[in-house]
Amino acid sequence: MALPSTQARLGEIDRYRAQVLTHPLARGISPEEVRDHLAQVPRQRFPRVAYANRGADPCIQPRGGFPLFEAQQQLTQQLSAAGADFIPLTIDSYTRQNQYDTATQLLHRSEEEGKNYLNGYPLISHGYELTRQLYCDLEKPVSLRHGTPDARLLAEVAIASGIAEIEGGAICYCLPYSEGFPIDRCLLYWQYVDRICAVNSTEGAPIHRESFGPLTATLVPPAIVVAVEIIEALLAAEQGVTSFAVSFGQTGSMIQDIATATVLRELTRYYLDEFRFESVQTYLVYHQWMGQFPVQRERAAALIACSAAISSIISADKIVVKTIDEAFGVPRPEINAEACDSVRYVLRTFRSAKAVTSPMIEHETALIRSEAESILEAVFNLPGSAFWESIYRAFQTGLLDVPFSPHADNANKLLSVRDGNGSVRIANAANVPISSEDARLERELLESREDRADKTYRQMLNDIRLMV
Amino acid sequence: MVKMSSDYKARVIIGVIGDDIHVVGNRIMQLALEESGFQVFNLRTRVRPEEFCQAALEVNADAVFVSSLNGEGEYWCADFRRLFREAGLGHVILYVGGNIVVGNRPTDEVIKLFEQFGFDRVYHQVTDISVAIADLQEDLKHGAAQHAGAARGD
Repeated sequence: MALPSTQARLGEIDRYRAQVLTHPLARGISPEEVRDHLAQVPRQRFPRVAYANRGADPCIQPRGGFPLFEAQQQLTQQLSAAGADFIPLTIDSYTRQNQYDTATQLLHRSEEEGKNYLNGYPLISHGYELTRQLYCDLEKPVSLRHGTPDARLLAEVAIASGIAEIEGGAICYCLPYSEGFPIDRCLLYWQYVDRICAVNSTEGAPIHRESFGPLTATLVPPAIVVAVEIIEALLAAEQGVTSFAVSFGQTGSMIQDIATATVLRELTRYYLDEFRFESVQTYLVYHQWMGQFPVQRERAAALIACSAAISSIISADKIVVKTIDEAFGVPRPEINAEACDSVRYVLRTFRSAKAVTSPMIEHETALIRSEAESILEAVFNLPGSAFWESIYRAFQTGLLDVPFSPHADNANKLLSVRDGNGSVRIANAANVPISSEDARLERELLESREDRADKTYRQMLNDIRLMV
Repeated sequence: MVKMSSDYKARVIIGVIGDDIHVVGNRIMQLALEESGFQVFNLRTRVRPEEFCQAALEVNADAVFVSSLNGEGEYWCADFRRLFREAGLGHVILYVGGNIVVGNRPTDEVIKLFEQFGFDRVYHQVTDISVAIADLQEDLKHGAAQHAGAARGD
């Protein structure tokens, strides 16, 4: 058994960085020059500063990435003008899979033909010098959104470009995104990313990390999300990260959203303190519905407005927004800008009284807390000479099981469906170590479901299409 | 035939063909088939035709159900039946379903195409899995491959 500890911190990071930075597409990044550049970047570009100044409402962040520099520049300006508090840089899927040559070829083709052959911004192909130009006058944080199991070079180029928020993590960017990338290698590669975020941080201007809590966004029980988020916060803290956001996706049940936010916030703080990472500052990010969206734009707008209100109720530090065109693919910049405006409208018009509670919410909160604690304690107790090894074993043994993960090493045994209130329930925990009492409570709550007698797969299909 | 005994669970291989990693439908199909009394061997995502064939040989499969969500099906499925016949598995029932071609094409055209590839039944953009499950139960009663694949012979 090896608990989270600073002893896991990567040694000889300078030598390791020198190896990674020999890649020709690093274009001669020099750690010293990057440090100097970051010292000149406006302080408002650092999430810690943006969060400290956010006022009463959650910060707003859209998503977006285009292959061409000019298109990305225009998107950045449009989103900023529309009131986005965080500016996204979404990376194309070839770069995410480390296929930089393909990304570069398709970038050239996009440039020649004026058409988009990539589904995001190929950051490594563009390089850090050009990408710095995207943000010359920007006084808001830029958030790197990707889905990359091996993000070592990508994170280097992002930080060198002056991007101070790196999304992802060894679990959240592997299990939902990859079919076969080895989980143990992913854990080690993300140590590198966390470590370079730490070494590029200064007092008051830390490079911020954010985990991706929605995971597969398909019937993931909140206790699994809470456990994964806390594990990734601990892994980052081991490497010296001092600014970290945990996140989760709208569950489909307002009760469960409020309960999840409470537990996630409390337990993240509790475990960071428990393992002597008191100096890590944490934030809570809420993702608007990450599942299948309705094709009717009026319904999509209603869903977006409703989840904006929930983000206010749970006092999220940031909300990541969807658009009314979600069902149709990558939205146009105008539609994306409109979404920021709609969410802003809801946030300022319906400021919540905060502390929303009820016996049902309290019950749900207690259940999620108890389950998440059981799972985390079981992971801590697995054998290993370092915390990351215990996490790796947790997947091998199915203690951690992410529903609908495409990954070959995910157990895929846990069964989850919704109860009568739309909350995600664990119908069969398989090897996920929740107590028998909690398992009984979960089953009991399922009885409220009208089609309980129907086949499980039919219930699941209905649940996945909840918002459609 | 050993397979006819009453407690025998028919063996079905499922998987998503090509480079497709759409996993949600695959997982639901596994559950649906298991709940309907089949023994399921799930090859999951990014499966090549040869892998379906090899798995069918290994587990003595009664049926193979190929899924494609991103439309790669057309490219990968053309030689599917031939591959099975060459491995001595001409009797195995072959089904295919999902969004099996790229773009919008008339369903009957798509069905005809995949029947020519040697599939016994084709479910293009059919969302209710229970249709295929009922068909499979029926087809298995009549012994393997009463449909197009065997009818066309070698």
